[in-house]
Amino acid sequence: MKVYLGIFLALSLLTFGLACSSDAEEAQTEDTGVEMAAEKKPVMEDRTAQVGEMAPNFVLTDTKGNQHALQDFEGKYVILEWINFDCPFVKKMYNSGKMPELQKKYQEEGAVWLTICSSAPGKQGYFEGEALKNRMEKEGWSGTAYLIDESGKVGKMFKAKTTPHMYIIDPDGMLAYAGAIDDKPSTNVADVPESTNYVQQAMTALMAGEDVPVKTSVAYGCSVKYAQK
Amino acid sequence: MRITFVKIIVITAFVVLAFLGLSELNSEPVRIGHLKAQLVSEVESVRSGEPFWVALHLDMDEHWHVYWRNPGDAGLPPKIKWELPEGFKAGEIQWPYPERFDVAPLTSFGYYGEALLPVQITPLENLSEGGTIELTANAEWLVCKEECIPGKGTFSLELPLSSESSEINADWAAELNEIRNKLPLRESGWKVSTNVNDDFLTFDLRQPDWFEGEINSVTFFPHQKGLINNASPQDLEKTNFGYRVTVERADQKIDLPDSISGIFVSESGWRGADSERAIQFVSNINDKESAPVQAAGIDNIGLLKALIFAFLGGLILNLMPCVLPVLSLKVLGFVNQARESRKTAFMHGLTFTSGVLISFWILAGVLFLLRAGGEQLGWGFQLQSPGFLVVLSSFMFLFGLNLLGVFEIGTSLTTVGGKGAAPGGWSGSFLNGITATIVATPCTAPFMGSALGFSLTQSIAVSFLIFTSLALGMAAPYVVLSAFPRLLKFLPRPGRWMESLKQFMGFLLLATVIWLSWVLGVQAGINAVAVLMIALLLLGIGAWILGRWGQLGAAFRVRAVAYVLTALFIIGGLSLGLAGVNLTAAPDTFTSKSNGLITWEKFSSDRLQALRAEGKPVFIDFTAAWCLSCQVNERVAFGSREVQQQFAQKGITALKADWTSRDEEITRALAKFGRNSVPLYVLYDGSSEEPEILPEIITPQIVLNAIENIDS
Repeated sequence: MKVYLGIFLALSLLTFGLACSSDAEEAQTEDTGVEMAAEKKPVMEDRTAQVGEMAPNFVLTDTKGNQHALQDFEGKYVILEWINFDCPFVKKMYNSGKMPELQKKYQEEGAVWLTICSSAPGKQGYFEGEALKNRMEKEGWSGTAYLIDESGKVGKMFKAKTTPHMYIIDPDGMLAYAGAIDDKPSTNVADVPESTNYVQQAMTALMAGEDVPVKTSVAYGCSVKYAQK
Repeated sequence: MRITFVKIIVITAFVVLAFLGLSELNSEPVRIGHLKAQLVSEVESVRSGEPFWVALHLDMDEHWHVYWRNPGDAGLPPKIKWELPEGFKAGEIQWPYPERFDVAPLTSFGYYGEALLPVQITPLENLSEGGTIELTANAEWLVCKEECIPGKGTFSLELPLSSESSEINADWAAELNEIRNKLPLRESGWKVSTNVNDDFLTFDLRQPDWFEGEINSVTFFPHQKGLINNASPQDLEKTNFGYRVTVERADQKIDLPDSISGIFVSESGWRGADSERAIQFVSNINDKESAPVQAAGIDNIGLLKALIFAFLGGLILNLMPCVLPVLSLKVLGFVNQARESRKTAFMHGLTFTSGVLISFWILAGVLFLLRAGGEQLGWGFQLQSPGFLVVLSSFMFLFGLNLLGVFEIGTSLTTVGGKGAAPGGWSGSFLNGITATIVATPCTAPFMGSALGFSLTQSIAVSFLIFTSLALGMAAPYVVLSAFPRLLKFLPRPGRWMESLKQFMGFLLLATVIWLSWVLGVQAGINAVAVLMIALLLLGIGAWILGRWGQLGAAFRVRAVAYVLTALFIIGGLSLGLAGVNLTAAPDTFTSKSNGLITWEKFSSDRLQALRAEGKPVFIDFTAAWCLSCQVNERVAFGSREVQQQFAQKGITALKADWTSRDEEITRALAKFGRNSVPLYVLYDGSSEEPEILPEIITPQIVLNAIENIDS
C-alpha cells in the first residue's frame, strides 16, 4: 500500500517538477540575456558616447601632424562632423556651401569644429597628404581641424554610422546633440535651404541657455567606410 | 601627380553630374549609373475604375544594391513622384521584404542585384473609351556598393483605354506574381504584442490556432529608422503561445512612438512550410516602463486558465455516454468497498488516478512522437484511422454485452466488484483507470479536440501539464468519493438496483457504437459499416456462446469447446471488420482522400448559373498554381476537418477556378467581381442575389463564419 502511495507521490512530484523547471528555464534565459547585453557593448575606452552624459575623451592627429585631444577644448563648444568627401550626402552639404558656412559661423562665435574621417585606408573618402589638402581647399572646408581616424576607433566610440553624422559637446564636456545634419534625408542640394538644420537649431538653443529641442535624431547618409577585419 | 588628381576629380564630378541630370522619357530599360531602370505594367490596357499594378524595375550591376523603406544604418530608399491623368490615383510603393547586409559595425536593409517595386494605380471611374493614357514616374534612388551614387529618372508608360477587362502583360506577369509573394502579409492571423524596457524591444508573436508549423528563424525589420540596433543579433524563443523575438534598441535612444510597425521575416513560412515568409504588423507598446516580465505574467494567467478548463473538461468527461458506465461501475465498487477501511478505499482511488494519469501521458507522448515525425495530427487522431474505429467499436460492443449480462469474465474488464484488498484489486483499479481513458478518448475528440489540439502546439512541458490536469479532472470524482466514503451514504444500500443500473449502462455503450460506426461510415463508406455490423454480429454470437456454455458451472469439455468457439468468432469478427475497411476503402479514395470531404468541381459560368438557378449554395475558389497565398489558403482553410464537414453538411457546391494559365472565362468572371487577380473567394448562399466576397487571406474560422448562416 505504501508502495502505491509512493508511486503516486512520485508521479505528482514529477508533474510539478516539469512545470517548475520550465518556468525556471525561462527565468534563467532572461537573466543571461541581460548580462550578455551588458558585455556586448564595445568598450573602447571606458564608455561610449551617450547624449546627456560626458563625452569620452579621444586623441587624434590632424592633417598637419598635430595631435588634438577633446579635453584640450574644455570650456568651449565642440562640434564633431564625420566626413567622406566622395559621399553624395556630404557633397550636398559642401556644394550648397552650408557646411563651410556653419564651420565659419561657429568658430567666430568661439566654438571648435573638428571634422573626423573614419574611412579606412583604400576605402572611399580616405585621402592623405597633398591630395587631401587640395580636396579640402576645393570643397571650401573651413573647420578648426581635420582629424584622421583610420582605425575607426573614435568613430565607433561615438557610434558614428553615416557621413555626415554630427555631434555637439558643450563647454562642460557633455554630449548635447547627436544625429543628422538636418531633417531632409536626400542628396539634393535644393533641399538644403528648405530643411531645419539640427546643428544650427541646437547651437542657437545652447548659446541662449535654453533646452535643445531635438537632442537626438537618426543620422542619414552614406555608411562610414570602417576598416573590415 | 597633381594634374592626374585634378583630372580624376573633374571626371568624377562630370560623371556624377551627368548621372544627376540625366533623365529619360521612356518605358524601355534605361541604363543610369550602375543600374538599368524601367517602369513596367502588369496590364496591356486600362479599363474605367479597374485598379492595376505597375512597378519600378531596378536591375543593378553585380554587388550593387538599393534600399528598403527603412534603409537601416545608412542609405536612402527609392522614391517615386507620379504625374498621372486627372482623377487617377497611385498607391504607396509596396515593399517586398528586404535582405539584411552587414558591413561591421553597420547594417543596412535592401535589395541586391534586382528590385521590383509595385505600385497600384486606380483609374478614374467613367473614363471615355478609346485613346491612351500616360503615366509618368519621377523616380530617385541611391545605389551603393562600397560607395553610393544617387540616380534619378523619369519614366513614362502609355496604355490604351479599353472597355474590355485588361489583358495581362505576359512579359512581366510572372515577375510581378513572384514579387507579390514577397510582400509582407497584413492579415496573417499572427498577433503581435510589444513590450519595451531600457535596452530591449520584446515582441510576443501569438500564433493562430490553426498554425501547425515551426518557426526556426526570424528577422525583425522595423519600419521606423533608428528604432533598433540594426547590427545586433536578434533572439528567438518559443513560448506558450507562439514565439518571442527580442531585439536590442538603438544606442542613441529616440523618442518611442506610441505604436511600432514593421515586418517579421522567416524562412520557415508563417502559414506552414513553403508559405509566405514575411508578415507585417502594427502594435501598440504595452508598457514603456516595465520589462517583458509583464508578458510572462499574462502567459501564466493564460496557462492557469487552460489548466482550470482542462480540469473541468476532465470532470465533464465522466458524463459522456462512453465514460459514464465506467464511472457508475466504479461507484458501485465503492459501495461494495464501503465496508472496508477508509484507507484502503482511498488507496484504490489513488491507484485509479495514477492509471488515468499514466495513460493520458502515454497518449500525449505518442502524439508528440508522431508529430515530431512530421504527421499533422490533432487530438482524436485515432478516429481518423478506420482500423482503430473497428477495434474500438468491437471493444465497446463486447463491453456493452458484458454489462447487459450476456456473458461474464472471471475478472471482468471493469472489475465490477472492485474486489477490495484482494491482491488483484490494486492492479484492477489501475487497469480501470487505463480502461476509462481508452473509452474516453473517442468522446473527447469532438468536444475537446480543438482545445487539446491547441495544447499540443505548446511546449512539451505545458502540454503535459494540460493533459495532467485533464486526467486529474477525470479522476477527481473517484478520489473524492474514496476519500469521503460517507458521501456514498446518499446512495441506496447495495442490492438489485445495482444490477439494473449496470445493464442500463450497457445501452449507453451500444449508443457509443452507433456513433463510432457513423464516423466510420463518413470515412470509409456505407459498405464498411455493413461489414462492421456483420463483424459485431459474429462477436455477439461469440459472447453469447461464452455466456451460455463457458460458465464455471459447465462441464470442463463444454467449457473448452465454448472457449475455442468464442475465440474463433471474435477473431473472425475482428478480421472481417478490419478487412471490410480495406476492401471498401479503395473505391472511396477519390472523395475521401486529399481534400477530405470537399469535392472540387471545375468552374464554369454555366455551371454557376445552373446552381444559382436551383438556389443552391456555391463557393468559388479563384486560384492559381503560381499564387503562393492561394495554395497556403487552400491548405489552411480547406484542410480543416470542420470546414470540410460543414461543406458536406450544408451541401455547398465547391467550384475551383484555376487561373494558372490565365483562362479567358475565369478572367471575365474575376472582372465581374471587380478583380483581376487571385486569390478571390466568393460565396453565394443560395437565397440572396449578392455574393459574399471573403478576404484574400482566409482561415478556417473565416470560412466557417461565412457559411454559418446557410441552412443545411
